[in-house]
Amino acid sequence: MINYKKFTLENGLRVLVHEDKSTPLIAMNILYDVGSRDEDQKMTGLAHLFEHLMFGGSLNIPDYDTPLQLVGGENNAFTSNDITNYYLTIPSENIETGFWLESDRMLQLDFSQKNLDTQRNVVTEEFNQRYVNQPYGDVTLKLRPLAYKVHPYRWPTIGMDIEHIKDIDLEQVKRFFFSHYAPNNAILALTGNIGYDLAFKLSRKWFGPIEKKVILSRNLPVEPQQTEARTLTIERDVPSTALYKVWHVCSRNSKDFYTLDLITDLLAGGESGRLYTKLVREKKLFSEINAYLTADIDPGLIILQGKLMKGIDIQYADESVNEVINDLQREKIIKVEMEKVKNKFEASTVFSNTSILNKAANLSFCELLGNPGLINNEIDLYRRVSHRMVIETLEKYFIPTNCSTINYISTRHEK
Amino acid sequence: MMNKLQRKQPPVYPVEKVVIPEAKSFRLKNATPVFMIEAGTEDIMRIEFVFRAGQVKEYMPLLASTCNMMLSEGSQNYSSEELNRLLDYYGVFLNQTSEKDCAGIVLFFLNKHIEKVLELSREIMFRPVFPETELNSLMKKRLSWYLVNREKVQNLAMDQFFESLFGKNHPYGYQIREQDFENITPSLLSDFHTKYYTPKNMAVIISGKIHGRTAELLNSHIGNISSNENSKETSVNLIKEEKLKKVHINKSGTVQNAIRIGSATINKRHPDYPGLKVLDSILGGYFSSRLMKNIREEKGYTYGISSSLSSLDLAGYKVISTEVGQKNCLKAIDEIYKEIKLLQNVAVNKEEMAVVRNYMSGEMVRMFDGPFALAESFRSAWEFGLDNSYYYRLAEKIKSIDPDEIIELARTYYNIDDLYEITVGTV
Repeated sequence: MINYKKFTLENGLRVLVHEDKSTPLIAMNILYDVGSRDEDQKMTGLAHLFEHLMFGGSLNIPDYDTPLQLVGGENNAFTSNDITNYYLTIPSENIETGFWLESDRMLQLDFSQKNLDTQRNVVTEEFNQRYVNQPYGDVTLKLRPLAYKVHPYRWPTIGMDIEHIKDIDLEQVKRFFFSHYAPNNAILALTGNIGYDLAFKLSRKWFGPIEKKVILSRNLPVEPQQTEARTLTIERDVPSTALYKVWHVCSRNSKDFYTLDLITDLLAGGESGRLYTKLVREKKLFSEINAYLTADIDPGLIILQGKLMKGIDIQYADESVNEVINDLQREKIIKVEMEKVKNKFEASTVFSNTSILNKAANLSFCELLGNPGLINNEIDLYRRVSHRMVIETLEKYFIPTNCSTINYISTRHEK
Repeated sequence: MMNKLQRKQPPVYPVEKVVIPEAKSFRLKNATPVFMIEAGTEDIMRIEFVFRAGQVKEYMPLLASTCNMMLSEGSQNYSSEELNRLLDYYGVFLNQTSEKDCAGIVLFFLNKHIEKVLELSREIMFRPVFPETELNSLMKKRLSWYLVNREKVQNLAMDQFFESLFGKNHPYGYQIREQDFENITPSLLSDFHTKYYTPKNMAVIISGKIHGRTAELLNSHIGNISSNENSKETSVNLIKEEKLKKVHINKSGTVQNAIRIGSATINKRHPDYPGLKVLDSILGGYFSSRLMKNIREEKGYTYGISSSLSSLDLAGYKVISTEVGQKNCLKAIDEIYKEIKLLQNVAVNKEEMAVVRNYMSGEMVRMFDGPFALAESFRSAWEFGLDNSYYYRLAEKIKSIDPDEIIELARTYYNIDDLYEITVGTV
């Protein structure tokens, strides 16, 4: 059980506090309710580039990292389709430095042309490192636009085209900051060796004076229902052929979410998952296979990916994947199998919540979903999934016309 | 209303002295040492069974890692599928680890399942049967992972780096080739297992909110396993570094080159090691390091650059790693050497010393925060026959090292002529 208290400052900043005296550290997580789905389609990649700029100095602090390291702290950040999330851990006696740093960059960034130019290069190298210079690296860039036709989830966080960030200028950066980075668009979570009173006092002191801003309203196009199976074939000089399949599913807040999560675990939860057992162990079609649920705030995806063993026909591999899923619909799922994935979910939730950093990130995200208490209910929600719910949910989402497939074909000659 | 807030850095407090809980140690009936570290708030445990059964013991490539991976592929009483299903059913996370010196298994679980966990651990560690079918399919899978990994410039560079440092004939150094995947047989695995997965080669490291019956249950499940006294260790070749200091591997179609610069050096047992850790941090061990500030934050040549200092049983090594755009590759290499020379000739100023000292002191707090981190830190000292006094020495050195000592260390350990320089990519 994770006990927490919540308060909201007058400027709209929501603060959540969970005290854990077993650690000498404090984790501080700031979630901004802005992600790559909020970008203009001609300027994709801006939210992520912006995350980099957040480390280049703010109104009163020329360099973010050095003062944090000077008090023994460490930090990082990530950007997703939905959110931009900044986090740090710091020995508790120096927590006020964390407040000083984070509030200053919420107040106002130091918009420097030099920093923009450098980080544009850094992000271009990041793009090259992750998406170009890796075998199979470009698949993310292809998969999203195949599945989504109108919703901004059709581009990845790095941007749909790296040229976009090359054209971004300082004015656009400023506009982005002033329309998204504000106390009334953020959630602060503090976990670890900090009591509620101190957290409240320091939050008011450092974040209290920051003014509310008018946040750009979010009017995202709704992705129309997919009505035909989509297939894209790509040929590349890679060692083995790979298969990627995605199905449109529900949003993170939908009642189907935990059922889908459980289905994904039945299929791909570790080495005893059905896909691994049937297709890697028994039929030896794949060298690896995995599936996961994107926990997106707008309707997301189940993404399945597998690398084929040499000499296996991709059509046959694809049919075999569908067969494993259909079997789940037809066969009686044995009780122990349901119990198994539920036990595993419980254990992994307990483990994940031993880290103050995870607790801070989870609390912030649950608050964004409108229900911080969710952090303590997830095991229960997952346990309540019944066999009938699994069948109904499979029937609802796992239909061929809701699926997009990439056949990623190796052009390398086999020996 | 409040007075207008002065947005100045709040007072900086020195990071409190690191306090490391001592492990409680005892021996099982068969003399296996056990270390228990009580920590955490949840009813969970981490048990690590570690054996001196890493790559350094193998007499052919892939033997140690395959033996380790095959442990869960079938035992006397359970098939591979049953083992995996049971572990999942009880919500157990099993990591099989095979490194250069040690190998073993680590299990994370809810305390209530301790008996089942120990029963399955015994099967996995001491009763594997190495079935041929499972071995064949594992080797096919591994070959296909290998082929993908060898497409990545960073892997090609690191593999070559180890070969250059430790030689083509030593397990620390040799590179895996495609044909190596055909040579492993069940009887080779069984022989390696009999020699090295024995209680006398082993230690148990336990952390978490430790179950009251842990010692008793360990004894009943593991304490009666005996070591095979007849088996002899096989001797391996000596470390012999390659002569060629600069190696370029051409890989066409790449947009970034991988760079690895470094050399073999002292390991944790050497008195200079803590000081070298500080030097390594200044050079490339954290976000505000010299290399990051210059090559990423100032010039934007790369998404990331770092240096690291690592310990092995027979040697240590330090390595600077980065991937950079082709056109900046030579410029990046020049900058790396420039930064090393600077550390050899110019004293680090007080401000930078304060940042690195405090950052590293914070890192030390993180290294001992929570049951999992504690166990990992314990293990990485224990492996070298060291105890917590190593960490106290490190903490002391972080506080006391002066700029002259940094120069001295940079001159002694970063002689540029001794460094290997590996690049992979398109010229």
